Amino acid sequence: MDFTITEDQATLTQGVRDYLAGVHTPEVLRALDASESRRSADVWQGLTEMGLPGLLVPEAQGGLGLSLLDAVLIAAELGRAGVAEPLADTALVAAPLLAKAGNQDALLAAIAKGDVKVALPHLVNPWVADLDGTSHLLSGEGKALRLASCSPAKAGVQETKVDGPRLSPGNTEYTPLDSVDPLRRLFAPVAAEGVEVGSADALLDHAALITAAQLVGVADAMLEQATDYAKNRSQFGQPIGSFQAVKHHLATTVVKIEFAKPVIQRAAIALEEGSPSASVHVSHAKLAASDAAWAMSETAIQTHGAMGYTYEVDLHFWMKRAWALSGAWGDRAFHLARIDAAVIGGALPIGPGHSFA
Amino acid sequence: MDLAYTPEQQDFRAEVRAWMEANVPKEPLVTLEREDGYHQHVEWERKLASSNWGMVTWPEAYGGRGLDLIQWLIFEEEYYRAGAPLRVNQNGIFLLGPTVMEFGTDEQKARFLTPMAKGEVIWAQSWSEPNAGSDMAAINSKAIRDGDHYVITGQKTWSSRASFADWGFGLFRTDPDSKRHKGLSFILFDLNAPGVTRRPIRQLHGDPGFAELFFDEVRVPVANRIAGEGEGWNVAMATAGFERGLMLRSPARFQAVAERLVKLFRQHEAKAAPAAREQVCQAWMDAQAYVYNTYAVASKIIAGGHIGAEASLNKIFWSELDRAAHRTAMQLLGASAELRHLDGGALNAWLEGYIFSLSGPIYAGSNEIQRNIIAERLLGLPR
Repeated sequence: MDFTITEDQATLTQGVRDYLAGVHTPEVLRALDASESRRSADVWQGLTEMGLPGLLVPEAQGGLGLSLLDAVLIAAELGRAGVAEPLADTALVAAPLLAKAGNQDALLAAIAKGDVKVALPHLVNPWVADLDGTSHLLSGEGKALRLASCSPAKAGVQETKVDGPRLSPGNTEYTPLDSVDPLRRLFAPVAAEGVEVGSADALLDHAALITAAQLVGVADAMLEQATDYAKNRSQFGQPIGSFQAVKHHLATTVVKIEFAKPVIQRAAIALEEGSPSASVHVSHAKLAASDAAWAMSETAIQTHGAMGYTYEVDLHFWMKRAWALSGAWGDRAFHLARIDAAVIGGALPIGPGHSFA
Repeated sequence: MDLAYTPEQQDFRAEVRAWMEANVPKEPLVTLEREDGYHQHVEWERKLASSNWGMVTWPEAYGGRGLDLIQWLIFEEEYYRAGAPLRVNQNGIFLLGPTVMEFGTDEQKARFLTPMAKGEVIWAQSWSEPNAGSDMAAINSKAIRDGDHYVITGQKTWSSRASFADWGFGLFRTDPDSKRHKGLSFILFDLNAPGVTRRPIRQLHGDPGFAELFFDEVRVPVANRIAGEGEGWNVAMATAGFERGLMLRSPARFQAVAERLVKLFRQHEAKAAPAAREQVCQAWMDAQAYVYNTYAVASKIIAGGHIGAEASLNKIFWSELDRAAHRTAMQLLGASAELRHLDGGALNAWLEGYIFSLSGPIYAGSNEIQRNIIAERLLGLPR
């Protein structure tokens, strides 16, 4: 029994944090916001050079073969930096599912090189993210998880029938949906057939876990922004952060954020080990992270006062991401229902002595 | 990270479970806030100590088992699983004990720790004064040096366990001209010494849980001072850290509350408010989050780390989850919530528990003080 992250994990996480803090600044977010595609080949190239797409790809396919625990630590850094490129979906959700499915060596190798992006349609979401930039769909529209591709030569996957507009990178025929988060790229769902590579439930659990991890990073970023603002903004002749009313609001959110983190780590271990109760722990993680990020977003805008209500202050990028991710991959009702079924329904043993059931 | 128990840890759990099943009283004890219940609880402490279960993390030399914090968590899980009594010895084993181990002399360790572990001496904590509650540095009770004794004069209040306990510990002003945090010393005193008057205070539930203490020229040997004269504030902060940190409220306590709450909900499901479902789920989630966080902190300490201002996060989290869980139970009980006894005459444990949960956000440094600590020490906001 050891509930610590290793020094290697801490070093990698810090490395990614430092890199993103240096290159993925709020100025980059503003430039993306001003662009047509909201995506940047340069940013993706930088993430690829950092080796991030291959983190969870097995070593045999050119990746680092890391675990879901590493994935949640890195996902939090993506959230903290407000990364909009579909790295989390491809590298942290699709890659481990494909690795588990087997027989996807070529595709995994292409993911590790940053050559391929995988979009993730699922019944639980009324949209698909980054459909236009993708060459593959890992689809959970039914009970099965299905892999479809439009570029068989590139990825070594058989061409499969896709219902709806033909898939191709850069295809602009899809119906775009407008998200409040200016850097989200959402499209109406497309149904795809393809080879069966697992269960749709597994996609949902993996994606919900990684979304939860991004949410605590988003929350941490908002906490830092609000704390900085409270230190620097003076009213009544003193920094507003010296007032207890402001301090206590911020302290309350720190409690929520810090107590969400071990829940996410516990869920990552459960999912990695294929524990029968993994879904319950993922739902717990998603709820805890969403609640923390949502509370933090309201506290952060309140701390910023009227400045927080402007487009000029950076906060809104993270606040909107928090709203978006909180509803994505299973909303509050969805995950609460799974907790309810397990805890009140009695499927999960609870109480002292069942700490890691 | 490895969230599986080792075979040794599983064996240890089995050993604790077997002992608890054989020894935990079948009938609940009378509340330890009453004299008869207090003595029942002291008897239980002595039974625990007779098999070295008093404080498993303490060195064997002082009556412990020299175990690590993960084993302590396992012990606590089995303790609460068995429904064992509350710890009347808590001020000693969780607060003063670690303080004496860190700051005490060898003579003091020998004199105080073993009787503490054996449940022979039960301790009261005496920090607050009528004008020094959250603002503990306003302490005014004096301990004036007279040869190899201090002469204590003053008043303490809300002193937990002091109605019936044997000894007390607290901060006293040893430099009468000093102000605030300076000139305070950490002193242990016999509650039965001449000049000590205790006046039990009737608490919310009607029983005398804590007491006022009046000191009228009470002579205390200088050898009862922990650490140097005038160094009391730092010692007390360390003690408070132990209190807010890991040990005061083990997660198993709240897992047991959540488990009982789920059972209560099932009984009242048909007439429960829609929001109650979510609150019950939240109680389980919060108890589990506290479990994971505590295992993480314990693992960190075992690996050589320490817990600082983060202790304030713990204290806010457990005290507020406990109050929320009991409030949910009270609302589920509806019109029965006010009854002191429920069907069959058993004590309404939810009512008692709710009343007790209201003290959590107040004692060991109110949650407002904890939020100040988080804001100033973790976030670096200006004082």
